[in-house]
Amino acid sequence: MKRVPVGRRNLFAERRRALLGVAGVGVALLMVLALDGIFAGAMKRVTAYIDTSPADIIVSQRGVKGMHMTSSSLPLSAVEDIRRMKGVSRADPILFETNSLKSPKARALSYVIGYVPGGRGGPVTITKGRPPGPGEIVLDESAASKLGVSIGSDVSTLGRSWKVSGFTGGLTNIVNTTAFVRFDDYAAARGTTGTASYILVGAESPAGAVAREIEKETGLTALPRPEFSREEAKLVRDMSTQIMQIMTIAALLIALAVIGLTLYADTLARLREVGVMKALGTRTRRLALIVLSQAAWMAGAAMALSIVLAFALAAVMSRAASNISIEVTAVSIARVAIGAGVVAAIGAVAPLARVARVDPATVFRRQ
Amino acid sequence: MDDVAIRAERLEKVFGEGDVQVRAVRGIDLEVVRGQVALIMGPSGSGKTTLLSMLGAMLRPTSGKVELDGVDLARLPESRLPDFRATRFGFVFQDFNLLSSLSALENVQFALNLAGTTGRKSRERAEALLRGFGLGHRLSFRPEKLSGGEKQRVAISRALANEPSVILADEPTANLDSKIGHEIARLLRNAATEEGRSVVIVSHDTRLKDIADRVLWLEDGEFREINEMAVDPVCGMAVERKPETPHYQYEGQTYYFCSPEDRDEFAAEPTKFIPDRG
Ligand SMILES: Nc1ncnc2c1ncn2[C@@H]1O[C@H](COP(=O)(O)OP(=O)(O)O)[C@@H](O)[C@H]1O
Ligand SMILES: [Mg+2]
Repeated sequence: MKRVPVGRRNLFAERRRALLGVAGVGVALLMVLALDGIFAGAMKRVTAYIDTSPADIIVSQRGVKGMHMTSSSLPLSAVEDIRRMKGVSRADPILFETNSLKSPKARALSYVIGYVPGGRGGPVTITKGRPPGPGEIVLDESAASKLGVSIGSDVSTLGRSWKVSGFTGGLTNIVNTTAFVRFDDYAAARGTTGTASYILVGAESPAGAVAREIEKETGLTALPRPEFSREEAKLVRDMSTQIMQIMTIAALLIALAVIGLTLYADTLARLREVGVMKALGTRTRRLALIVLSQAAWMAGAAMALSIVLAFALAAVMSRAASNISIEVTAVSIARVAIGAGVVAAIGAVAPLARVARVDPATVFRRQ
Repeated sequence: MDDVAIRAERLEKVFGEGDVQVRAVRGIDLEVVRGQVALIMGPSGSGKTTLLSMLGAMLRPTSGKVELDGVDLARLPESRLPDFRATRFGFVFQDFNLLSSLSALENVQFALNLAGTTGRKSRERAEALLRGFGLGHRLSFRPEKLSGGEKQRVAISRALANEPSVILADEPTANLDSKIGHEIARLLRNAATEEGRSVVIVSHDTRLKDIADRVLWLEDGEFREINEMAVDPVCGMAVERKPETPHYQYEGQTYYFCSPEDRDEFAAEPTKFIPDRG
């Protein structure tokens, strides 16, 4: 049942047009893949502080289920109440807000965390230097390089200046970075007494049950860490989806324009041949399949190109150790493939309409 | 079924309405039997293309009918015409009309696909046809790499691929030099003689008379008697023998021309155009 693949031949007969079309669509699809990948990479890092925390349960102000763009405040006395509960091994308060880090060279938006030395809220790894002493701060190394500071430099945040004592890693994403100071310093800088933002809890028995107990006992909100991480991710995702969707649609529209115009130009250039095919007895249905297969080959080739480019870009980005990491996921490839399919189908509409109108009798008329 | 492959009866085509109405074909009757080559000649605008389009089921007649192998084409629903064209007709065009992105082989295979022959079978049949016409070394060439004669041989292979009853050829030799034109004419003649197909050729080329069983002269949408015809000795085209046609008397004979320019050229030096009567 194999037939001459006219659509594919038509596409690749005009090498230059095919190449330009495939490259154009490929780059547009790459934009979608890269955006998706940047987003996936960012999402992974957005919750990095929570995901790497040794806490099993995170307790927050009643009704607060995240950190991003939120503020949580609870009485410090709750720490003692929780410590006394059954199934709880430890409870450490942290103070938290989103603020900006300023150096003479630059500024960076940051989660600023005040933790009790020896407690569980501090940096999990110190890549260089040491944890903060009084009046000192630990920065993420990629934020430090952006700010142009090294150990011993001064950085200001929370309305005062701090001396950099060490670096941590993996806690910077495209939105913000993370910095650590001592709990008491933080409280003094903010003029608060007797309050904390969150309490990080270690559990001896299943976290879900302990969290429920804590909620009952204190009236605060307590979530097992994975759940808190999911809520946090959702919060960020909800805030970014709209812009992501707009950019994805814009990129797909570019792909649509390129496919549509390339295909239409090619169809116009071939109208005479369409007339010949009709005269020879080709049904409009078969002609439609020819146009559609040409569109599909173009979208398919562009898709393959965009996947290769996306992986290449991801590799370059990770080698460049930048704050932007690109995660090309199977889900986003599937999404882009569907997008490309839809775009190819829509791009074929105008050429199809034109092809359907061709009168076979024109073949005997000379232009 | 009689021996008539294609028959037209009181075939009529009117374009437009009212003041701009054109009766392009006016009540034509025509029968072509199997194995016969009919050559239709006539000045431009006489309705040749219109007639050929109706014979080939590409244009609906205003009235009258076209019968192919006993089936009235005018009564067939639109949806059945493509299959009819694919299986019962072979078309040959002046400008070859090969599909430019396909190889010679694929051009022929494409026609076979339309009639339901696909895969290896279509490949073998296409290859056999092309080899038969001496194109074995050109199978994978795209049309742009072929000479005019080669292109027309591919086109004839395509026209013959589905063993049609009727071959309709529109000026098949116009874009070819005379030697190649003669060869193409012979191939069309063979399709009639050896394979029993009916061949209808529309052409200005008087040399095609040599291979035609019948020559028909079309003018203003109607057939005229062929003995009213003469050949322009300058350009070799057939012209009508009547008072309005540019003509010239020379040594007791009247010569007819398709244009006053040809006549003047002839008058300047008649001996250059008259074959030696020695
Ligand atoms: N689609 C059309 N619409 C209107 N008039 C047409 C059309 N096709 C042909 N005609 C007219 O019909 C006449 C015959 O044309 P045609 O069949 O092309 O003649 P030929 O092929 O002998 O040159 C001409 O007067 C031409 O202008
Ligand atoms: Mg014509």
